[in-house]
Amino acid sequence: MATEKWVLMVTAQTPTNIAVIKYWGKRDEVRILPVNDSISVTLDPDHLCTVTTVAVSPAFDRDRMWLNGKEISLSGSRYQNCLREIRSRAGDVEDKEKGIKIGKEDWKKLHLHIASHNNFPTAAGLASSAAGFACLVFSLAKLMNVDEDPSHLSAIARQGSGSACRSLFGGFVKWTMGSKEDGSDSVAVQLADEKHWDDLVIIIAVVSSRQKETSSTSGMRESVETSLLLQHRAKEVVPKRILQMEEAIKNRDFASFTQLTCTDSNQFHAVCLDTSPPIFYMNDTSHRIISLVEKWNRSEGTPQVAYTFDAGPNAVLIARNRKVAVQLLQGLLYYFPPKSDTDMKSYVVGDNSILKEAGLDGASGVENLQPPPEIKDNIGSQDQKGEVSYFICTRPGKGPIVLHDQTQALLNPETGLPK
Amino acid sequence: MAEEKWVVMVTAQTPTNIAVIKYWGKRDEVRILPINDSISVTLDPDHLCTLTTVSVSPSFDRDRMWLNGKEISLSGSRYQNCLREIRSRADDVEDNEKGIKIEKKDWEKLHLHIASHNNFPTAAGLASSAAGFACLVFALAKLMNVNEDPSQLSAIARQGSGSACRSLFGGFVKWNMGEKEDGSDSVAVQLVDDKHWDDLVIIIAVVSSREKETSSTSGMRESVETSLLLQHRAKEVVPVRILQMEEAIKNRDFTSFTKLTCSDSNQFHAVCMDTSPPIFYMNDTSHRIISLVEKWNRSASTPEIAYTFDAGPNAVLIARNRKVAVELMQGLLYCFPPKPDTDMKSYVLGDTSIVKEAGLEGELPQGIKDKIGSQDQKGEVSYFICSRPGRGPVVLQDQTQALLHPQTGLPK
Repeated sequence: MATEKWVLMVTAQTPTNIAVIKYWGKRDEVRILPVNDSISVTLDPDHLCTVTTVAVSPAFDRDRMWLNGKEISLSGSRYQNCLREIRSRAGDVEDKEKGIKIGKEDWKKLHLHIASHNNFPTAAGLASSAAGFACLVFSLAKLMNVDEDPSHLSAIARQGSGSACRSLFGGFVKWTMGSKEDGSDSVAVQLADEKHWDDLVIIIAVVSSRQKETSSTSGMRESVETSLLLQHRAKEVVPKRILQMEEAIKNRDFASFTQLTCTDSNQFHAVCLDTSPPIFYMNDTSHRIISLVEKWNRSEGTPQVAYTFDAGPNAVLIARNRKVAVQLLQGLLYYFPPKSDTDMKSYVVGDNSILKEAGLDGASGVENLQPPPEIKDNIGSQDQKGEVSYFICTRPGKGPIVLHDQTQALLNPETGLPK
Repeated sequence: MAEEKWVVMVTAQTPTNIAVIKYWGKRDEVRILPINDSISVTLDPDHLCTLTTVSVSPSFDRDRMWLNGKEISLSGSRYQNCLREIRSRADDVEDNEKGIKIEKKDWEKLHLHIASHNNFPTAAGLASSAAGFACLVFALAKLMNVNEDPSQLSAIARQGSGSACRSLFGGFVKWNMGEKEDGSDSVAVQLVDDKHWDDLVIIIAVVSSREKETSSTSGMRESVETSLLLQHRAKEVVPVRILQMEEAIKNRDFTSFTKLTCSDSNQFHAVCMDTSPPIFYMNDTSHRIISLVEKWNRSASTPEIAYTFDAGPNAVLIARNRKVAVELMQGLLYCFPPKPDTDMKSYVLGDTSIVKEAGLEGELPQGIKDKIGSQDQKGEVSYFICSRPGRGPVVLQDQTQALLHPQTGLPK
């Protein structure tokens, strides 16, 4: 073996995902097993992603992790479970170039350094732990030469954060609830890849929130314990919707997709309201966005935009195609204009080609906007500035990948410490 | 009979009511039969009421009605059903003083003038049609000497507006959903009168609303048609809650009362959200008030305040007793202060003794500060109304309160 100071590293990038049929409620808090199936769409990691570098070296004296530049503790059960599960599946690793050889049984004596970074703000409520745990598990699996397919890996990521399991794939993904007690069948599977329905454009409105939100983990536990509607949802409503949603995705049936996505989002929030104490994730701005979309869809005769909201006020809007996305963005910027001193480049981030096509990337664009002809009723005139912090334009995206470019690594290749 | 220009009149006053176990969804749109029972508390008519004067005269050539001073049409099925049902139960009436005699069979040939007035703004979302139809039916029953008890009358009022049936009684009232197709067993009954639990103080926060709200009638129809959670609520959840609520009221068990009232209000709004398109009656201010109360109840050793919301953003807060009500009023005024140019007399209406006791000068006591969040924006609440559980409908003998002129039968 080479000197005791060698460092072996892998850097990976993982997308985040948004559920269109929601996961809300566990039947097992330790293994993180849900009360129903869920389906999600993976977002393009070019716009929203987690990058994680994992490193191993005999010089490391303990497992350490840095998240967005700050060292964090790995002692919690979620991290411990993931680390234990992935280590138990480690294989032999050989780096011929560096002359390093790690035998299967060596891994339990070696320690890890992990650095992770989200390219979007954690406070934005954009499901950073899903992307984070998925990336952790994916990159460790690569580092440790774990010979398991993404579904098997998803069962490990699931133990870090339930929805993380769905970020092991691109496109549309289903998290099968499973029936076994040990959770070995509670895994994610890919329904369709990101090319299957690539007409879709996704616009996220990051809504300003004054409230500190209830965490998903405690919120869903309170719902399981106190909502008298939750079990009915899980047993009677969701199973049917899952089948219908699989069909809608397979057939690119946007009308059905919209009906299912919107009603499931609303039902999830209904269950939150039916919880004791009640949980309000959506606010007046969220409701105004829903009104806008509902009116639009009804005036067009066939749905043009689907909406869904997670455990926060942010709106995830899915437009049928690019043309609709451009109109949608124009409508959104009319009702939610930026504050006067805001640069459009920081108000609409992600894929800015939509903004350009809307003719709004210049300085005067927003002032000259007319109210969308589709919206005849007043949902509130051109509204208070500042209700939306910014928009992100994106699309369905690919699953996790290894980044071979060493400049993207978050740890120093010699020291294994954050750059 | 005296000359053909005589006018016989009755004036009545009816309270409004707030459901604590909610009615939302009909199994019969024509007869207005609900899919579950509901329970309400009647509010003191001194603060919120409908006044109605009904009159009959051979000189009236058609049925006419004036609501809050404006003439309205009586052609809709709700008014027609109420008028038909009450007329079919009319009896002989004799006014010895005026020498007038109306026989049972005469009523179908005679026409009515009706004037009704709410002492609270219709736009405030304070259930004016419940009080209105209850008053109409009650007043006409008195005028026509209808020999039926309030429960039987409630079945008629129900056909004007579902929740109107509960305004035929004071105190706490239950609307039995009934099983018969003709709705004859879908009636209101009194659980307890207004004296049974008179410690309670009710504070209503009339919340400013920018939105035009979905009407209850169309909203609940959309919920029945599209909510997959509604039937489960109606069949599995509400029947259990009704029994528990009856017990809680009987025993003056405020803790159980609060738990049931708050969770039923939230579940009603959850079903609205589960409707397609979703209906949002509560807004951020409503949520802030709920947060305030939830936090308050958790920091107190036992729940002190219940909240419930109808089909609008207004909060109906029920305080365990006067002491709590005074503290609550202080807390609410701290969180939702009036705009600088507002006169307190128009910011806190109804029973003003609560706000007087609350006092408006000086620092908010620390104990209350601990119970509430931070101070909020002015203008979110339009005004408050302080009230209490109240009595049922009464006839007003005082002629000066009549809304129609005793000679012409036209609005004064």
